[in-house]
Amino acid sequence: MRPVYELYIAIRHLTSRRRQTIFSVLAVGLAVMGLMWSQALMVGFTDEMYSKTVDRMAHVTVEPKEDENYIHLYRKLTEDITHIDGVVGVSPVLAGAATFEYKGKNKNVAIQGIKVEAHDSVLHINDDIVEGSFRDLEVTPNSVVVGDALAEKLGVEIGDTIDASFPEANPAALKVVGIYDSGTPLDETIAITSLSTAQDFLDVSNVVTTILVRGDDRERAQAISEEIDTMGYPASGWKETNPEIIQTLKLEGTSNTIIMSLIIIIASFGIVSTLFMAVMEKTKEIGMLMAMGVPRRSIMIIFVMESGILGLLGAIVGVMVGAALAIQMGSYDYGMEVMAGISSIPFVVRIQDAVIIVLFTFLLNLIAGIYPASRASKLKPVEAIGRE
Amino acid sequence: MSDKYIIQIKNLTKIFGDGVEIKALDGVNLDIERGEFLSIIGPSGSGKSTLLNLIGILDTPTSGTVLLNGVDVTKMSDKERSRTRNRELGFIFQYHHLLPDFNALENVMMPLLISGVKSSKAREVARKVLDEVGLGDRMEHRPNQLSGGQNQRVAIARALANKPSIVIGDEPTGNLDSKASGNIYELLRQLNREHNQTFILVTHDERMAAKTDRIIRLVDGRVAENSINSG
Repeated sequence: MRPVYELYIAIRHLTSRRRQTIFSVLAVGLAVMGLMWSQALMVGFTDEMYSKTVDRMAHVTVEPKEDENYIHLYRKLTEDITHIDGVVGVSPVLAGAATFEYKGKNKNVAIQGIKVEAHDSVLHINDDIVEGSFRDLEVTPNSVVVGDALAEKLGVEIGDTIDASFPEANPAALKVVGIYDSGTPLDETIAITSLSTAQDFLDVSNVVTTILVRGDDRERAQAISEEIDTMGYPASGWKETNPEIIQTLKLEGTSNTIIMSLIIIIASFGIVSTLFMAVMEKTKEIGMLMAMGVPRRSIMIIFVMESGILGLLGAIVGVMVGAALAIQMGSYDYGMEVMAGISSIPFVVRIQDAVIIVLFTFLLNLIAGIYPASRASKLKPVEAIGRE
Repeated sequence: MSDKYIIQIKNLTKIFGDGVEIKALDGVNLDIERGEFLSIIGPSGSGKSTLLNLIGILDTPTSGTVLLNGVDVTKMSDKERSRTRNRELGFIFQYHHLLPDFNALENVMMPLLISGVKSSKAREVARKVLDEVGLGDRMEHRPNQLSGGQNQRVAIARALANKPSIVIGDEPTGNLDSKASGNIYELLRQLNREHNQTFILVTHDERMAAKTDRIIRLVDGRVAENSINSG
């Protein structure tokens, strides 16, 4: 293979004008560091948002057939859904409305009848319990678990009995066996009972209103819901039921990436101007290289390589420093709440982000180098060498 | 016939400038034999350097042809011109035009690397040529660490590294004092005898010209004198 003298010359140029080289690398490096850092923050923030929201809701929601109020054959359907690839939890739920009364205080609530174990497999409700236990719902007939906000509104504690009623419902006295805190506004409106208690109260039997499903991966929701659709029940993934989550995260991510990319573009144009200076300085040298038999194409390659090498070095330095900074800041516990419910900033450094940023910066600098390089390659040897 | 003549110039004309036209060369005809050591002289603006640049394929003529080993260089592509410059031509300018970021040895290696010679082989050849021009002990020095005469020797070594058939010198001693200048001339003459390369020198120095095989005098872009030196 023929030795690549173009690279030899390019590297020597860069090592000879050390100061410009270091400044160019630092400029690109700083911009790339910013992008890497903010990308890590963005990914971490997005992940955190997902685990705070999506991972706490059902990935897929199954509803009654059109023109029906209930899912009638829910046992069979639940069984069938359990066998779908990637499904890790299936929970039939009977939802209805109720008015709770305790010592003269009233509150309209949404009642949800569940099977505790099944429901926990979908929504991890046991994690949220602050007092009592969900499991008591199954052992104590006519019992209820309420949110902390609802408990406060009604002034109830564990062991108290709430009067539940509603038009067309069978009034019942429900004993509070647990209090939970999910950290959402729903804590004020949702009361959870066992499925049979809810069926008795709402005066229905062997039916549910929804089936909630959890997959092993939230991105699997679409595939699972499509499969359930084929069983004849309308199912929708969390992206359909909560499109605003995706939109918000996407919008923030996109605007962030655009701003940071612009900064890198500006830094790269800094390299273009240093390169222009180098071409001016080296006019005679370029003329002499041509006299020695370097074709125009190779002159071009030399200067594009210089730009590319500066970009690549800057990108690698920037990605490493940015990632180190993110990891460092991410592992620091601020000892107070910096974001809804967490005390450290959730940076996530992904290899694929680093690779994409490095490639993007490298390509950008190759492209940016083309203009000064083509100027160099278009010099006329006689004029470049000059007379003096 | 092209065997005898390494360069055949026919009716070569070069006009510069848009608007006000300056005829730098006006129908020059010239044949140069293989192994000749000739000088081109003439007053400033007579077209000496223009002629040299056209022979060196650094510029293109307005009309006329330059045959190098029988091939018309005016019709070559950039790639062919570059290749021919690299293989067949060696340049020595008034200023050495060495690459400032490379040391003497690396500068001399450069034409070899450009032609695709492996770096170890190029190093070996460059060492030998630098020895030949008397700079064997200055190989690791960069141009700014060498004197004018030394740099010019490095430039000569570079011009010779690829064993070109033609060496072109544009005032190669114009920037040196008379002692250094005389030494450089002796060096060129010696190399010419040893390697039978063709040397074409543009010079102001009539004394130096008098020592060459043939003098071409240009006046106003025309060949005014073409005389063989007897002594």
